[in-house]
Amino acid sequence: MRTSPVRNGIQTGTIFGIIMVMMFLIGFTVIGAELIGKILGNPSISGMPDLIYFVIFMILVGVWCGVSAAKRPLYGPDSVKDAVLAGLSAGAICGLCAAVTGFIFGSVAANHIDVRAYLVSVSPESISMFTFNQNPTLGALALFGVMTLSSFLSALVAVEVRTSQKIRTMIENTSGSISETVHSQRISDLLNNKYARYGFYLIVAIALIILPRTWGGYWNYVFGTVGIYIILGLGLNIITGWAGQLVIGYVAFFAIGAYTFALLTAPVPHNLLWNFWIALALGIVVAGISGLLIGLPILNLRGDYLAIVTLGFSEIIRILLKSDLLTTFTGGPRGVHDVGGPTLFGSSFNTDVDFMYIIIIAVLVVSFLAYRLQNSHTGKAWVAINLDETVARATGINAFVSKLLALALSAAIAGLAGALFASRNQFTGPDDHQLMVAINVICLVIVGGIGNIPGIFLGAFALKGLPEILREIENYRMLVFGILLIVMMRLRPEGFLPAKRPVLEKFTADQRSSTDPASHPGNLETNTPPGKGK
Amino acid sequence: MLLSIENLQVYYGAIHALQGIHFSVEKGEIVALIGANGAGKSTTLNTISGILRPREGKISFDGQEIQQTPPQDIVRKGIIQVPEGRKIFGRMAVWENLEMGAYTQKDRAVIKRDVESVFDRFPRLRERRNQLSGTLSGGEQQMLAIARGLMAHPTLLLLDEPSMGLSPLLVEQIFDIIQDINEQGTSILLVEQNAQMALAIADRAYVLETGKIVMQGTGDDLLEDKSVIEAYLGGH
Ligand SMILES: Nc1ncnc2c1ncn2[C@@H]1O[C@H](COP(=O)(O)OP(=O)(O)O)[C@@H](O)[C@H]1O
Ligand SMILES: [Mg+2]
Repeated sequence: MRTSPVRNGIQTGTIFGIIMVMMFLIGFTVIGAELIGKILGNPSISGMPDLIYFVIFMILVGVWCGVSAAKRPLYGPDSVKDAVLAGLSAGAICGLCAAVTGFIFGSVAANHIDVRAYLVSVSPESISMFTFNQNPTLGALALFGVMTLSSFLSALVAVEVRTSQKIRTMIENTSGSISETVHSQRISDLLNNKYARYGFYLIVAIALIILPRTWGGYWNYVFGTVGIYIILGLGLNIITGWAGQLVIGYVAFFAIGAYTFALLTAPVPHNLLWNFWIALALGIVVAGISGLLIGLPILNLRGDYLAIVTLGFSEIIRILLKSDLLTTFTGGPRGVHDVGGPTLFGSSFNTDVDFMYIIIIAVLVVSFLAYRLQNSHTGKAWVAINLDETVARATGINAFVSKLLALALSAAIAGLAGALFASRNQFTGPDDHQLMVAINVICLVIVGGIGNIPGIFLGAFALKGLPEILREIENYRMLVFGILLIVMMRLRPEGFLPAKRPVLEKFTADQRSSTDPASHPGNLETNTPPGKGK
Repeated sequence: MLLSIENLQVYYGAIHALQGIHFSVEKGEIVALIGANGAGKSTTLNTISGILRPREGKISFDGQEIQQTPPQDIVRKGIIQVPEGRKIFGRMAVWENLEMGAYTQKDRAVIKRDVESVFDRFPRLRERRNQLSGTLSGGEQQMLAIARGLMAHPTLLLLDEPSMGLSPLLVEQIFDIIQDINEQGTSILLVEQNAQMALAIADRAYVLETGKIVMQGTGDDLLEDKSVIEAYLGGH
């Protein structure tokens, strides 16, 4: 006997209902409405978003619920009725959950009881918005209606889209033509054309020179942070993305770079006042050496010891920096102030635009280095170790030395990022070096597409640039990280821009015209049936 | 003597996996090491490759003791292992796997030439040079694993159960290739559970049982030996 569609709908509806209630309890309904308002170009000024955006938010949840319910695979392509039934019951249950919640909280609020003592995010305003600014009974009915209706309609539409041959071919055609454009001869020719490429580089270069001058201080700060996180991502990617060794406490090397630089250039506590460039170089070197020292005892062990040891190391460093014990040496819990800025030919080079240039150049240098490493002998060895360490060793790779090199390079790059960070902020303190920084970097590498350089750029923009653009969600960043990661794992398990493996060999013209499907980039992973080759 | 093993003792913690084995491979020979699952065949090969360290015993290759030499240097001396279970780098293209096999060779032109000559031996792989090697069929993967081993120009090739999980026709093909490689001057230490095929192409063979060598002789002798027939050839 097959499960009935109603039962499935109830299941889906319960899940969505619980999510809905949770979102309300943590105040995410308000944030969601705010975000929608923002996307539609109407940022809330007075604090609470307009009711209409909340309605849109609820409808979106309902649509999602309905589509999910209709998508359960047990309905064949032609059982429209079953799917719609599932959508309807899912919406009803979800709506019921919302309605009950709305009614309870609405009644409580109507009696002037403030529940914020127990649930910090449930303000009277958010309750009122949740019940559509109506009395509890009406609000509950409205919630029920909106959820049921949107779920039902979206299930209907979803089934129609899925079953309609016309729409299906339309979707296939569009996605086909998009991928065709991406893979098309003309674009790849353009990319291979030397002059076109130089022209492209020139445009990018001009843009990078002009843009920082137009952004103004705030955006230079935001994009500077993004740049520093790109550097961190590229660095972590070497040891974790390529060599496959998880490093959790990556922030330790960031801290070492920052403090080395800060202590060498600040007036207090040592009054060394070294030159920016020399201190920067030393920050890189000291961080790199610390990576080497950490790796020496543990990298010939297998397993995730590196993750655990670096985690401990980063916490020890932060606690040491925070303790009064080392105040005379590291500035103690209050950190190091008046960290030196860059100079160029003896004169100061320290405006926000100047610093943006330095970060851009650092990003370019590190990316160039990463590209070179990726295609190098050593880069291949890292990937081989990642894929199978035993076999890699059997092919003559010195796994220990390769991993050690990867860790030292990663650490040195983190040192560079740390030094730049301290110099740009003209300050560094223990709280700059919390584990959260490292978690951020791991997230951006995973979200962008582990092992892939453009993916890291994208990840850094998504995780460090977007929150600035959507300032309000700052407090919910962990939540958004969580949601983003779950969605990522579901939709794109290898990241937004997954690393392309294998890298195709350069073709000569005659090879390209061959009929061998394996030589066509679009058919990378198809298995040629035996005897069908050239 | 190309390779000689004396009193080799290997432990996994408390497990005494190799309990003092002796054997040798002469230049130009195919030597088979047969034994049931868990007898210690892979352990033997991994110890020769330097991936495992023996607690006692001597391994000499070309007159030099190598039991303390790290794996990457053993590869450079000319001992190459093709690990069991077709361990190719599945997320690399066929040609990238071959390049990895030539890891010790820095000269790109030489690598290119070697890749082409390996493709001459395995035309099937040439057709699939850009394919993700994890998507190859089982037989193709085994060929790729052997081809990758050849990229390093081995003096002694260690093959760990190359016939594992392949259809009889493919097994025959693989063994033809092994003989062919041997005829071109590479000495071979062949580890197999498929005793029939292994003994048929081996000059000499050893039988390994729970960490000890219990029998040795020419391939033909062992093929006719009663106890071998009973234990390994599904004796009639
Ligand atoms: N990594 C390991 N840890 C502990 N015991 C192992 C390990 N690898 C192999 N062994 C044990 O060593 C013995 C020999 O194994 P192996 O050399 O793999 O056998 P074969 O290759 O002949 O099937 C077996 O008893 C096996 O259980
Ligand atoms: Mg084995």
